[in-house]
Amino acid sequence: MQSTQTLLTTALPALQPLSKSGFIAQVRAFAAVMWREWFHFVRYPTWIIAFIIWPILFPAVYILGAFSLAGPTGAGIDVFLKTAGTTNFLGYIVVGTTVWMWINTMLWNVGFALREEMMRGTLESNWMSPTSRFYFLIGTGPVHAATMVMFLICTIVEFKLIFNLDFNANLLSLLVVIITALPALYGMGFTFASVVISARESQNFVFLIRGIVMIFCGITYPLSVMPGWMQSIANWIPPTVMIRVGRAAALNHATIPELAPDLFLLLLHGAFWMLFGYLAFVMIERRARRKGSLGQY
Amino acid sequence: MNHSLSQPSLRSHLRALWMITVLNWKHHWRYPLSAVSDVFQPLIWLAPVYFMGQAFSVNGKAEGFAGYAGTTDYMSYIIVGTALANFIMAVFWGMGFSLKWDMNGGVLEANWLSPLPRPLMLVGRTFSSIATTSITSLGMILVAKLLWGFNPIGDLWPALLTLLPLLIGLYGFGFAFAAVVMLMREANTLVDSGSFIIQILSGANFPVTVLPKWLLPVSLALPLTYGFDAVRGYLLKTPTLLPLQWELIILVAFMFVMIFVGLRTFYALERRVLQKGSIGQY
Repeated sequence: MQSTQTLLTTALPALQPLSKSGFIAQVRAFAAVMWREWFHFVRYPTWIIAFIIWPILFPAVYILGAFSLAGPTGAGIDVFLKTAGTTNFLGYIVVGTTVWMWINTMLWNVGFALREEMMRGTLESNWMSPTSRFYFLIGTGPVHAATMVMFLICTIVEFKLIFNLDFNANLLSLLVVIITALPALYGMGFTFASVVISARESQNFVFLIRGIVMIFCGITYPLSVMPGWMQSIANWIPPTVMIRVGRAAALNHATIPELAPDLFLLLLHGAFWMLFGYLAFVMIERRARRKGSLGQY
Repeated sequence: MNHSLSQPSLRSHLRALWMITVLNWKHHWRYPLSAVSDVFQPLIWLAPVYFMGQAFSVNGKAEGFAGYAGTTDYMSYIIVGTALANFIMAVFWGMGFSLKWDMNGGVLEANWLSPLPRPLMLVGRTFSSIATTSITSLGMILVAKLLWGFNPIGDLWPALLTLLPLLIGLYGFGFAFAAVVMLMREANTLVDSGSFIIQILSGANFPVTVLPKWLLPVSLALPLTYGFDAVRGYLLKTPTLLPLQWELIILVAFMFVMIFVGLRTFYALERRVLQKGSIGQY
């Protein structure tokens, strides 16, 4: 009597997977994920309203607050100059709040990418396809980054037109800052997406992370007004560095050599968070396979 | 003869109102992480405001701010505004989405078949929303006092009495808003930006006199502006935009107008839904 293994090898000699998952196929799948994300983004036209309203609306709370603190005679501006080193509190706030909005939308979009698919019931079937599962996550990053560049352009135009804000930007430095910040930012997003995939009341994790950024990273004030222990924590958070180099490039016309130490630090943060994001994803994927929990939420 | 099996009375209506209130109260506390988050979220938003205030202050006194607000106690001014803004958020997000959530949950149709006056469902929700928002606002004020200091030098009771017409008017608006949100398919942008704009224009985070000249009339046309102003006037002894009696008259008028508008809009929606038979669709 033949063993089962012999039977299988003799009866089904040519049993091979139907898919041929080569490099080109992987690239095509990655492009398809990005295309799906883009299509999903433009499918709901309320994004146009959001892009017009939010660049002004969110910073407005802090900007008008800063105007009230400056006082009708501008008495508070001298105090701000002493603590922040600039009288341009308008630009100072705009850069900080824009970085915060970037992180906020990244958490809701990239950070919830896997969980949204889980809720829609498509994660399980997508993960059965012979595509690298990590692509389903990282495919959301470039699309979000592209939409945020559009958002940045809207911000610059609106503040120039409405507040006549003098940016004094070094555009090349600004571009390098944005590119350098991407790995750290989206590495954090991928880590977050992996962690919250099966969490209940997961929106509270967004509130927590964006709250940490809001409190520690100096979005509207110089770090020097915080207690020493808070400044120590702030220096370990990538958005602090992003805001610092962003302000230097956008408001003080800083050159790339001047920004080099902070840019290098951002790259280090990027390498760490990308690796950490990947490891978190691998761990979650293995756990999901073992527990069969992908279809549950 | 056409007799209904139900025998609704004032007593049964009150019982139903109580049950709706308890249901929403339980629903709120069923998610403890969200309830705690309700206390800490405003504090997180306040942190950058506090540190920004520090960047403009000398020895904790915001002298420039006093030129607009009549007080150097920047944080007390902001904390009062944030506590009141919590109710705006509760009306926009909680009341605004209440009918739509029932609709999405598939229970709106069944609820509307019960022999109850339909606005009662929103009244019950209003009671629980005011109770939960008051508790979370109180918690927020206590933590904020510990962290940054909160020094109301004025009278508490007149300030609380001023809150009454303000809140009733606000929740009256919530009736109309709930009806509008239910009719829309995607209302998040409307609710999110709407609540933010109202907060900015009513001066939750700064004196409205800071607003650009072209925007100030819009702010002064909002009764909420006078509500924020009067409560601060009583609690912090800040100078008010109008004499306090006038601000109170505006708030009482706002209350009656909003109850009327809220109910009229709600009944108009009910009629439309009955005509279209669309209550089960979303």
